[in-house]
Amino acid sequence: MLQKLNSPFMYLVCGLIILFVAIVCLVFLVRSYRAGKAMGMDPKVLKRAITSSATFTVLPAVGILLGVIALSGSLGTPWPWLRLSVIGALHYETQVAEAASEAVGIGSLSITHMTPKAFTTIALLMSVCIMWGMILSILFNKRYTGRLRKRDSQKRNGSDFGDSAMTAMFVGLVSAYIGSYIGNLVSGRGNFSFRGNPVPLIVAGVSAVAMGLFTFLSEKKGLRWLENFSVAGSMLIGMAAAVFLG
Amino acid sequence: MRMQENGNNITKNSSIQKKKQKNTSDRKDSAFSVEQYNMGTHRIGRISSIITLVLLVGAPFLIGIYLHAMPDLSAAAKGFLSVGLIWTVSSVVEFLVYTPMLGSGGGYLAFITGNLINMKIPCAMNARDIAGTKAGTTENEIISTLSIATSSLVTIAVLALGVLLLQPLQPVLQSQTLAPAFENVVPALFGAMAWQYYRRNLRLAVIPLAVMTVLFILVPSLTAQTSMMILPSGALSILLAWLEYRKKKTEIHKSTSEGRNMK
Repeated sequence: MLQKLNSPFMYLVCGLIILFVAIVCLVFLVRSYRAGKAMGMDPKVLKRAITSSATFTVLPAVGILLGVIALSGSLGTPWPWLRLSVIGALHYETQVAEAASEAVGIGSLSITHMTPKAFTTIALLMSVCIMWGMILSILFNKRYTGRLRKRDSQKRNGSDFGDSAMTAMFVGLVSAYIGSYIGNLVSGRGNFSFRGNPVPLIVAGVSAVAMGLFTFLSEKKGLRWLENFSVAGSMLIGMAAAVFLG
Repeated sequence: MRMQENGNNITKNSSIQKKKQKNTSDRKDSAFSVEQYNMGTHRIGRISSIITLVLLVGAPFLIGIYLHAMPDLSAAAKGFLSVGLIWTVSSVVEFLVYTPMLGSGGGYLAFITGNLINMKIPCAMNARDIAGTKAGTTENEIISTLSIATSSLVTIAVLALGVLLLQPLQPVLQSQTLAPAFENVVPALFGAMAWQYYRRNLRLAVIPLAVMTVLFILVPSLTAQTSMMILPSGALSILLAWLEYRKKKTEIHKSTSEGRNMK
């Protein structure tokens, strides 16, 4: 079965879909770069946005690659490669694949129990469960962003709460994750036992300190170029700390 | 003499040519319309989303032809009821919360390419910070689209390279020594982002962080659903930011009217 799931046909089907999405990304990239230049935005700023996003992405992408490897044992390599390159999310894929294999009656997600029918059903379920963001975008993105833009332009005179709201939302997002690391340490193995996993909290702490150092160097020591690599560098240092902690 | 004259003419001509080129590019720049750009973004975004959707849902059936086994639709429906509904609700929340952060172009791309919380959202916010653009502006829309398109392309490239080199890379990536590093990519990411956002918004961050911490300590099982907890945490932060904003606005209003009264 694994041989079939890793066949050239599977690579071709998945590879072509990934290629299509890569072309879409390229179209958006070129369009927005040109639009930025036409609007009079500094090309240096546009290039910095590209460079910082590229460096930012490398490490999480390697993490996602591990997800491909983890799923490749039971679903072959091409399908997880497609799922995690396009639309999928690392935390979502394994969960849905597990639930789908239970629903099709093969028990746990494993190549020993996998049948062609089970595979195609799991693959369909993985696609259907996460497609709603895309459907909502097709139906409502124009209206929703249009309304937001209208509201922003109406409030532009003296008001910039939209910007504060975005920052606040992100502060909330980060707080949820940091709070979960603290909660896990304190009550992860029994309420208030302080015997939970300390590694995520320490890694986040080390990464934050490294980020502070990078910020100091780029803002106070004039090393502005470091800004593009500061998140990636901090993550690397944080992840290295995890290796030392074992 | 003549040579010098010729030289001068050439310089003159080239500067005229340069001016002409500049005028043409200026004309091009002035011809740029935000409205048209947005319309184009929605057209391309919708078409590419529809095609991707058809390809993704169609692929299992195409593979079914190859494997001589079509998907079991009743089992898929049963599976959808058990896990799909949760993800449907989560998708609606993600769409409502993240679209304003990403803008239209970034929104289409992010929902096509996925990995929003652990990659695209922080990536776009980081690019926005570096570029210094404000939410709701066309500049922000452009930076966000650039950021997500780049991030998606890099992810596609890293995964393609990884799959190509899977055999030689597997021992390195799956080594016991490096395993803790890859298990902690997300904490490393949010640690760095925490520094960036907390240092500028410390007063705003204290209450959401405290509330979330207490909640996760009292209900440890919630740590398995951290992505769902983003919504109440974000809502609380926005509420606090709104109260702060109102307070500042009232103070400004007060001091302006006091200034007028003094006059």
